[in-house]
Amino acid sequence: MAGFLQEIVEGLGAGAIYASLALALVLIYQFTGIVNFAQGELAMFSAYIAWQFMAAGLPFWLALVLTLAVSFVGGMLIERVVIRPVEGAPELTVVIVTVGLFIFVNAAAGWIWSFLIKDFPNPFPGGAIEAGGLSLGYSTLGIMAVVGVVMGLLYLLFQHTKVGLGMRAVASNPSSARLVGIRVGWTLALGWGLAATVGAVSGILVAPLLFLEPNMMGGVLIYAFAAATLGGFDSPVGAVVGGLVVGVAETLAGAYVGFIGSDLKVGVPLVIILFILLLRPQGLFGRAAVERA
Amino acid sequence: MSENAFLTVTDLRAGYGGARVLHGVSLAVGQGEICAILGPNGAGKTTLLRALSGMVRVRGDVRLDGADLSGRSPDTIARQGVAHVPEGRGTFMPLTVEENLRLGAFVRRDRRSLRGLRDLRGRRGGSAVDADLERVHTYFPVLKTRLKQVAGSLSGGEQQMLAIGRALMLRPRLLLLDEPSLGLAPMVTQELFRIVRAVNEEERTTVVVVEQNAHLALSIAQQAHVLESGRIVLSGSAEQIRADEQVAQSYLGYRV
Repeated sequence: MAGFLQEIVEGLGAGAIYASLALALVLIYQFTGIVNFAQGELAMFSAYIAWQFMAAGLPFWLALVLTLAVSFVGGMLIERVVIRPVEGAPELTVVIVTVGLFIFVNAAAGWIWSFLIKDFPNPFPGGAIEAGGLSLGYSTLGIMAVVGVVMGLLYLLFQHTKVGLGMRAVASNPSSARLVGIRVGWTLALGWGLAATVGAVSGILVAPLLFLEPNMMGGVLIYAFAAATLGGFDSPVGAVVGGLVVGVAETLAGAYVGFIGSDLKVGVPLVIILFILLLRPQGLFGRAAVERA
Repeated sequence: MSENAFLTVTDLRAGYGGARVLHGVSLAVGQGEICAILGPNGAGKTTLLRALSGMVRVRGDVRLDGADLSGRSPDTIARQGVAHVPEGRGTFMPLTVEENLRLGAFVRRDRRSLRGLRDLRGRRGGSAVDADLERVHTYFPVLKTRLKQVAGSLSGGEQQMLAIGRALMLRPRLLLLDEPSLGLAPMVTQELFRIVRAVNEEERTTVVVVEQNAHLALSIAQQAHVLESGRIVLSGSAEQIRADEQVAQSYLGYRV
């Protein structure tokens, strides 16, 4: 039993990371209807930026703050420069652009920092709290706390600020948002900036666990897709719950389903995506739009 | 009228891509007047309103109280006090009724009250925007009972009321209404027009209303223009237009 609970704890820890990247995906999808395939690569790039700051001698927390700021501005710039020209283009066009961005960012990171893995410091101490036969790693607890804080901040932003209200208005009806005087273009850029910032948090959480290298987020992105699909692409809460569920499912499947083991567990999110799309395409928390004609 | 008109439109041309819809429309509306724009489907009525609020690119001259609005972006025009209730009502479906109304005041510089529904310390009320919320409730009491409800769950008539209420939250100097009667029961439509008239009388808001239901529009308007194929073919006071035999045949459904 203790072993089972331990697996669940491990799963939640992994799930919190998937949740953080899924949050970034959902943010952009909500505002623009775009599934940003490059989200993981942007997160990876942000992690490299943090690494660079630390290599220059800055302490971790200062590097973190600077990285978040750079990522925010970078996300806005990408929206203005790369996404804006294809705004309103058919979905396939936009998908191709974000896939192109994926390849570009990946190659750029390799070109700048090489494909050799780099050590990335873990901001959390190494030990663990032992409680009732369970071992709760500080790292796992820290990751969950960070994701919780990010969620809380996003909630405050969206529900209790004017900017957040404007962003939700743009997500729901861009042309009407324009008529009430909201600068829609800037709001979309703001959404990308915000998503890139959340993604940066994700990248910085992942880097110490997987080592820093340009392909580090590839696997995480697939889990994040599964999380967002499970929770509903238009629901930030769904993304987080989805991430946790995917993390736990993956860990349990790896531990208890004999033929899956640690090699096949990467397949778990794909199976989740498949079943959700078949059974409940809008996801667990997604809205099947409430509208009266 | 035209010397000291509040809204003057001169030789307005507008369209979508290569397709020109408006071919040089000129009109003037005095302050506090209601102006009805009539005409068949495809005449360019909606495009005219969209041109006034900056939703389509225009050539020509649009002036509101002397200020040039032509070529400005919709958010700039909204800041000038122009509220456009679009065709299809423009409801923010997943947001609550209260959030929809508060968005109407988005460009007003009354920061505290606009921080969502209450500010972070939980304070409520007291600001000009809250006062305007009350004002909208007096025009549309039904909205007050639905404040926390998701706007998408309102009936068509309630959504139209919400759309007009949202526009009033701007304290507009110019209110543009696009087919407020569309898809509504006659009783609801009459109620809406009665309220528009009341707003116009009590707040001296200038109104331009596009309407298929010419009879109803002429009943509240002082002046009217008939638009056909992107040109104004007939202008006059509401009585003159109502008395015009050709208009009567085409849009009012009876002979004088």
